[in-house]
Amino acid sequence: MSVATTTPEQAPSVAPDATPPVWRRFIPTPKALILGVVALIVAYLAIVPLWFLIQGTFLDQNTNAFTLGGFTRAYTDDNAIEMMRNSVWFAVGSALLSLVVGTALAFLNVRTDVPFKGLFFAGSIVPLVIPGILYSVAWIFLASPDIGLLNYVLQPIFGKDVFDIYTVWGMIWVEGLHLSPITFLFMVAAFRAQDPSLEESALMSGASRWTVIRRITVPLLRPAIAASVLIMTVRSLESFEVPALLGLQNGIYVFTSKIYFMLRSYPQDFNGAGALALGLFAIAALGMLVEHLMSRGAKAYQTVTGKGFRPRPIELGKWRPLAGAGIIGYFVFTVLLPLLLLVYTSLLPYYQKPSAAAFKSMSFDNYSTLLHMSKATTALKNSLFLGFAAATLVMIIMAIAAWIVVRSGIRGRKILDLLSFAPLVIPGLVLGLSLQFVYLRVPIAIYGTIWILLIAYCTRYLPYGMRYAVTSMQQISSELEESAAVSGATWWQIFRRVLLPLLMPGLMAGWIYIFVVSFRELSSSILLYSSGNELLSILIWEQFENGKFTVLAALGVVMIAVLMVLVSIAYKLGAKVGLQQD
Amino acid sequence: MKKKALIIPVALLTAILSACGSPTATSGDSKPKVDSHAKEIFDKYNGMTGTERTDALLKAAKDEGELSLYTSNTDMDAIVDGFTDKYDIDVNVYRGNSESVLQRILQESKAGFAGADLIETNSGELNVIGQEGLFYPYKGEYRDAVRPEGQKDTWTADRFNVFTIAYNTDLVKPADRPTSLEQLADPKWKGKISMEVGDIDWFSAMFNYYVEQGKTEQEVTDMFKAIASNAKVVKGHTVQAELLSAGEFAVGTSMYTHSVQEGTEEGRPIAWRTAANPPAQPLVIRPNGAGLLATAKHPAAAMLFMDYLLTDGQKDIADAYRVGSVPGANDPIAGLKTIEVDEDEMLNNAKKWDDLYAKILAGGEVTEQ
Repeated sequence: MSVATTTPEQAPSVAPDATPPVWRRFIPTPKALILGVVALIVAYLAIVPLWFLIQGTFLDQNTNAFTLGGFTRAYTDDNAIEMMRNSVWFAVGSALLSLVVGTALAFLNVRTDVPFKGLFFAGSIVPLVIPGILYSVAWIFLASPDIGLLNYVLQPIFGKDVFDIYTVWGMIWVEGLHLSPITFLFMVAAFRAQDPSLEESALMSGASRWTVIRRITVPLLRPAIAASVLIMTVRSLESFEVPALLGLQNGIYVFTSKIYFMLRSYPQDFNGAGALALGLFAIAALGMLVEHLMSRGAKAYQTVTGKGFRPRPIELGKWRPLAGAGIIGYFVFTVLLPLLLLVYTSLLPYYQKPSAAAFKSMSFDNYSTLLHMSKATTALKNSLFLGFAAATLVMIIMAIAAWIVVRSGIRGRKILDLLSFAPLVIPGLVLGLSLQFVYLRVPIAIYGTIWILLIAYCTRYLPYGMRYAVTSMQQISSELEESAAVSGATWWQIFRRVLLPLLMPGLMAGWIYIFVVSFRELSSSILLYSSGNELLSILIWEQFENGKFTVLAALGVVMIAVLMVLVSIAYKLGAKVGLQQD
Repeated sequence: MKKKALIIPVALLTAILSACGSPTATSGDSKPKVDSHAKEIFDKYNGMTGTERTDALLKAAKDEGELSLYTSNTDMDAIVDGFTDKYDIDVNVYRGNSESVLQRILQESKAGFAGADLIETNSGELNVIGQEGLFYPYKGEYRDAVRPEGQKDTWTADRFNVFTIAYNTDLVKPADRPTSLEQLADPKWKGKISMEVGDIDWFSAMFNYYVEQGKTEQEVTDMFKAIASNAKVVKGHTVQAELLSAGEFAVGTSMYTHSVQEGTEEGRPIAWRTAANPPAQPLVIRPNGAGLLATAKHPAAAMLFMDYLLTDGQKDIADAYRVGSVPGANDPIAGLKTIEVDEDEMLNNAKKWDDLYAKILAGGEVTEQ
């Protein structure tokens, strides 16, 4: 392999020094083979559901004729303007809140000597583990004007109804906190790969701490910021649980809860739902374009270079206790309170305000129900397998795909980037239907097995994998690859020995995210699983449908405990593969 | 070559997929299929009765060894366990929400894949499957014993969901407990009641009832608007029941009798009827039922299960505080005024009701501000 092919600045099609025989040109190099296969996999996974989404949007369900009726139904509404305003307010608010919270926590965790690090790394992930419906209901019990415990406790001091969760601000609070682990994971990876020498030089040249943060630290984080804002805006635009549980109560309608209304009764309005999803896709594409333009001078973010860059924690000094107190406060409010409420609920026969009678009725009945639930072990095993396999596969594939997008000069690489974003906007039902359609017709026995679920999960989490991997890749200087290539390493060796260890913090963050949230995936799983392939998310749904809210709370508590342990183990292992942290 | 590396596979995939046609199209091009073996078995046992039928069915079912059931009933475990204990035949259960059950069976039948032998779900979805011609008639004495409104053309009811008004017994004094839906339009209920965002069936039945009572459509719409302006809108009956017992609101409009009754028995401060307070009427009943698939791979086992559902299974249904389709000794809705969901209307005109209900709930918000 020639140096030319590993240098992004040069076109990869530059002729090698010696002309090989004609037939040799048709045998792909291992590098071309790997890249080709990965590109194919990504394109295949994304295009299958996207194609069905597009067909479902533009073809009339009865006549199969071209139609734009879905767009009319989706975007015209008596309350369109108010809905649009609510949606933007809600989505931007949630994205900003989670950006600020996630970034601040990641900064304190990685770059400073703040106390309680272990505690709050674990704690930052908790909102990710709790199913959205449990998290939202927990907040109703805490901050509803009528029955909220916080209002009840604070009433003597501040008067009636300090908090009202049934407002757009309440929705932003719940959604923003629920999403904040995504940013946290992005930022932890980004901070780990940051070169503090830039900051040190600035400090030495007389810049104030604040100037350094504003002029050096934050600009260097731009790829990670852009990626997490993009994902979170789209996510909160299509979020359903929070608007349904907190918004409907006071008639706060957001635009994209409409997808629910479009798909809820038979025959489903796939035209309308597709029109909404494609609208989201357009927003995402626009966001990616902006991100692309912003990161034009790609080299500027490459802080991981040939020089030593081991980040050193900033000593907080006299601020340390204050930061510690802030963190404790944050955790009490956002993690501990909902968690305690869940634990409290899980011990009751049904939810009631704390009282002597309530404490008297406490027992472990709900936990023993869990133990005696048929299929619980199968479901746990299947969910663990799927989470592990999907997270691992997606991150491996995406590490290579990210190389194609960021480093290769291949034309059309941006298409791959955009395609990989598509599953984020595709409604779960449409994804499930498209996979069902394809695998009912291919002669390989995938339908009705756990493999179709694995394909669904890999598709669904492509976008996250891609963003985590791309963001990390952008931080790594291409000079490392170049020097390895000059020393005679093959592309694969470079990838494995140089890039992979450096990418590890980002890949690990993506892995944890996918692993954890895959336990909650329901919308496509419920269509695709079969008898014998039960999943935890299906059991959760069953309990929920059956009105067993307290059993659900118990299940939530157990899931948090189990996933926290697994995530900690994964993180320890991942840290061993990647760069050693202090 | 590399430059085109991405474009060629993408184009190739696109070409393949576009040849496949749309998966979301409702009208399948394939004609409804009937498996000849299944037809033979169904015809044979449909004509038999009593123990002769059961014995012969059991023998044939044992040879088949198992059966595949698609259901949306989350209380099905007890029935399935009872069946397996009694006959030692494995039941493979796929359980999803009713939309998933419907989508799955439609997709499978279009692809000629016989995944299920028996479907047990809500009336609306069963009617769609029946309309697509996927069911085979089920006959016999057990079906004849079902309430007449449960003996449908293509399927047979096994239970009824009953929608009722329920209240928090701590928050609503016995004298104030509503006896009809209409009363909840009174402004004194402002902020104290709740409506569920997806209960179109209940809504259409109540709407038609009040029209039949002599109100104009406009008057009924206005009545619902007034109720909605008093209401907090919730999503899901479980959340509704949980919030009702926690006191978030005092009354729920369209709750299931079985889940309220179960709550009452658990000691929650909720009820849909008490010794002193008869339930608000009319109650809306909507059948859920089961149908045999014409392509069943295990037709005898499916039929045996169907028989079980309408006999021993009725006990399990009653134990879950649900209303069985075969009238028994202690019928929870005996003597009460009930109305049915207009199923033809919901099958052919669902969007109209969907939109109207959504408008009324959203309108509640407009008048509130």
